[in-house]
Amino acid sequence: MLDFFRKSRPSTAPRAPRTTTALFDDDFQKKLETLAIVSRRVFAGRMRAERRSKKKGSGVEFADHRDYVAGDDFRFVDWNVYQRFGRLLVRLYEEEEDLGIYFIVDCSASMGFGSGRKFDQARRLAAALAYVGLANLDRVAVIGVNDEVVAQVPSTRGKARIFTLFQFLEKLEANGTTNLGDALGTVVAQHKRRGLAVLLSDLYDPAGFERGINVLRYNKFEPYVVHVVDPADARPDLRGDVHVYDCETGDEREVTVTDSLLDRMEAASRDYLGDVERFCAKSQVPYFPAEVDVPFDELVLRVFRRGGFLR
Amino acid sequence: MSFFGFPPSVLLGVGGAAFAATIGLYILKLRRRPVAVPFSPIWQRVLKDKDASQLYSRLKNLLSLLLQLALLTLLVLALGDPRPTALAKKGETTVVLVDTSASMQASDVLPSRLAQAKAKVHELVGGLGGSDRMLVAKMDASTVPVTTMTGEATELNEGVDRLVATDTRVDLRRALAFSADVLHGVENPQIVVVSDGALDTDGAGKDLGNVPVRFIPIGKRGRNVAITGFSVRRYPLDASRYEVMLEVTNTDAAPENIELTLLGDGNVVDVSRLSLKPKERLPRFYTDLGGASQKLEARIRLADGTKDDLGADDRAYALMPERRRARVQVVTRGNTYLDAALLLDEYLDVTTVAPAAYNSGGAFDLTIFDGVAPQAPEHGGALYLNPPESGSPVKLGRALSDFGFDSWDKHSPLLRFMAVDNVQIAHGHALVPDKDDHVVGASEQGPIVVSGRRDGHPYVVTGFDPRDSDLVLRVAWPLFVLNVIHSFVEEDATYLSSFRTGEVWQIPAPSDDATVWIKDPAGMRHEVAVKEGRATFFGEHAGFYELEGSGKAAATLFAANLVDPDESQIEPVKDLQIGGERATAVAGFHIGIRRDVWVYLVEAVLLLSVFEWLGYHRRITV
Repeated sequence: MLDFFRKSRPSTAPRAPRTTTALFDDDFQKKLETLAIVSRRVFAGRMRAERRSKKKGSGVEFADHRDYVAGDDFRFVDWNVYQRFGRLLVRLYEEEEDLGIYFIVDCSASMGFGSGRKFDQARRLAAALAYVGLANLDRVAVIGVNDEVVAQVPSTRGKARIFTLFQFLEKLEANGTTNLGDALGTVVAQHKRRGLAVLLSDLYDPAGFERGINVLRYNKFEPYVVHVVDPADARPDLRGDVHVYDCETGDEREVTVTDSLLDRMEAASRDYLGDVERFCAKSQVPYFPAEVDVPFDELVLRVFRRGGFLR
Repeated sequence: MSFFGFPPSVLLGVGGAAFAATIGLYILKLRRRPVAVPFSPIWQRVLKDKDASQLYSRLKNLLSLLLQLALLTLLVLALGDPRPTALAKKGETTVVLVDTSASMQASDVLPSRLAQAKAKVHELVGGLGGSDRMLVAKMDASTVPVTTMTGEATELNEGVDRLVATDTRVDLRRALAFSADVLHGVENPQIVVVSDGALDTDGAGKDLGNVPVRFIPIGKRGRNVAITGFSVRRYPLDASRYEVMLEVTNTDAAPENIELTLLGDGNVVDVSRLSLKPKERLPRFYTDLGGASQKLEARIRLADGTKDDLGADDRAYALMPERRRARVQVVTRGNTYLDAALLLDEYLDVTTVAPAAYNSGGAFDLTIFDGVAPQAPEHGGALYLNPPESGSPVKLGRALSDFGFDSWDKHSPLLRFMAVDNVQIAHGHALVPDKDDHVVGASEQGPIVVSGRRDGHPYVVTGFDPRDSDLVLRVAWPLFVLNVIHSFVEEDATYLSSFRTGEVWQIPAPSDDATVWIKDPAGMRHEVAVKEGRATFFGEHAGFYELEGSGKAAATLFAANLVDPDESQIEPVKDLQIGGERATAVAGFHIGIRRDVWVYLVEAVLLLSVFEWLGYHRRITV
């Protein structure tokens, strides 16, 4: 029935998928359209694709001067400066281009730990934000990583492409170890066009979460960290003598779980979150914690209010 | 300490094996289950300090093992059934006689004396040792065991719970004889009597031999006013009216004022207030009562509105004899005086036939032969008035004239209420009685009224025609006729207005039934065998009963009462004398304290298990 409406009356609603999946069901898709409307209201007055790059080029807005070198176009020589200072300077303009949004989804085993709620939440958030991006005529790419790039959808634009993203996200699986530094290094190498890089991850990286974020920073991407958090990770339902092992690395440790140990575990998890948040603040990277218990649409709205995702 | 269960060598073997198994299982228990975690570096961060406390953890693990070994030690010891050597004696065999008589319904100790007695017996059961055995029996008019001879506390306690008080008195001799039979030949026997002491100890305990009798007294006071007598009878000459005899007794040492209510068929007939002196027995008669009452009930209550301690004797029941019409056949050629006499009692069915029409074999209570006599003897009773020589059951002697009653049997029911000393008789015959016949009246010249039996049938013969005397002009004439009828019907002679509880009742029942049903006051039906026209039933509760036969005849009612002054004496006694010896208190029988140490060992095991469970879940012992 939704196909009928799509053909007869173009709508801003996402096209109905050929098959409805559990992850992106009808209810999810209805909420997406609501979020798209809300995003337009929040960012009313903005021009489409008004995402200015730092690249100097042939735009109309003055950016800077530089010394003339042989071969430069004479049309850009600033003759007024030459008249006043006797130097040949070339006027530089900001080049306008539609920069991309890269949704980088952590597909390591820790994301699927337990009931996989973190992985589901990450995929739902990626899908929702991607839809908002597509609705704003941005160029959107989705990349799955663990210690390498496991799969990706090349940059695309237009709302009609959202179902391609759904199918892609649906097929992603959480396994392998986490190495954000290496994986994101591959991402930046593969994508020359810089842009907003939304990292959706639990940041459980044995090599340190900082490496991956810094890779994005150092390669002129604008990182945006969505930290997917499961409270059950901080206080697991365990008692007694157990033999714990890391679900990714297999590191082992014998431990007797008591209430006091669980309290300390909870405190350590809070400290870890605090470390991530402090690092992001220090690095001027937008940071957004996303708990699995909070509905994804509410989280998306929080992202909007927080700013930084759409400008 | 001695072991009465498994010997120490076996205990050592069992204990060693169990210890080895426990330690083995404990080592297995230390294998930890693997659990995946999402990010081990956080655990590493937390567990950095944990390494410093490893020794403490091991100590806690050791504590867990020690607790389990302690549990095992206690269980192994329990298997050995250890007991203090001082208590190492052979078990006792005890018969507990619990008084369930009417006085045990007294409520001077709440909720009742019987409940207190049950509690005491429960304590005795709780104090049973491993080799002790006990039998509990109810003791009232009968003695019935409610348990087997057993050491099982469960069975004993269930038997005690089944005890119910009855409206009977205690037959202590029967109870002690039963106990002596049960304890015959056993070692360490004893009898424990749990009672309020309202016991008839005369002749009790003769067969006990050396069996000691212990006594547990019950009750604390005895304020009681009781109905100790209650009966009713119809007037012989006016069966439509009746009189009631009632006796009330104050068993207390203080005077009491009571209100006495008499009910007939549920309706109040009389209410009166009585003052009773201490220990007074006060009879009271209600005379010349009328009405159609069948069920009579007497109730007493204290005038001040309070209740005495025993309610079971505050009510009494009686049933008036059912009046039935006597069937009388008159064989006569016509006798106005006789017809007139028979008209005086409305409860007579009179059939008059001429001598020629007479046919023997009819179902009559009495046949009056007026100047005639049948050739064949009559089946029922017979009154012969001036019979001819032929057919008379008594030979006629010589003829008499102008005679009267010179002597007569003043105690004969045939002549009651009569004055015959100056009766004048014109002529008649002297009678010649057989040796078993009874001369009721005689002149100087010979017997003139004789009664007796022929072939099992009663008869009365007059040697004169009443019409040849002035007897028919006297009040004595109808009295004589009615006395003869009533003596043959024998209604009053066998009737009981109520049975007494605690006795075997012989209740008249249809003789053609093999069994009848008796419904007691509580509504329970009992099937009772009938033998020789009587149903034999042992009644324990006061009230109205119904007897139902298999025929269509209406149910027969009868009543039962306690009415026992001795049982109403509910002042508890503290000492019981049996056979001249004082029954001692229960000794060597630590009520409420079991002599089995193993019970306490198992309880310790349970307690330690609780601690272990709590410790495990609170992570103290792991």
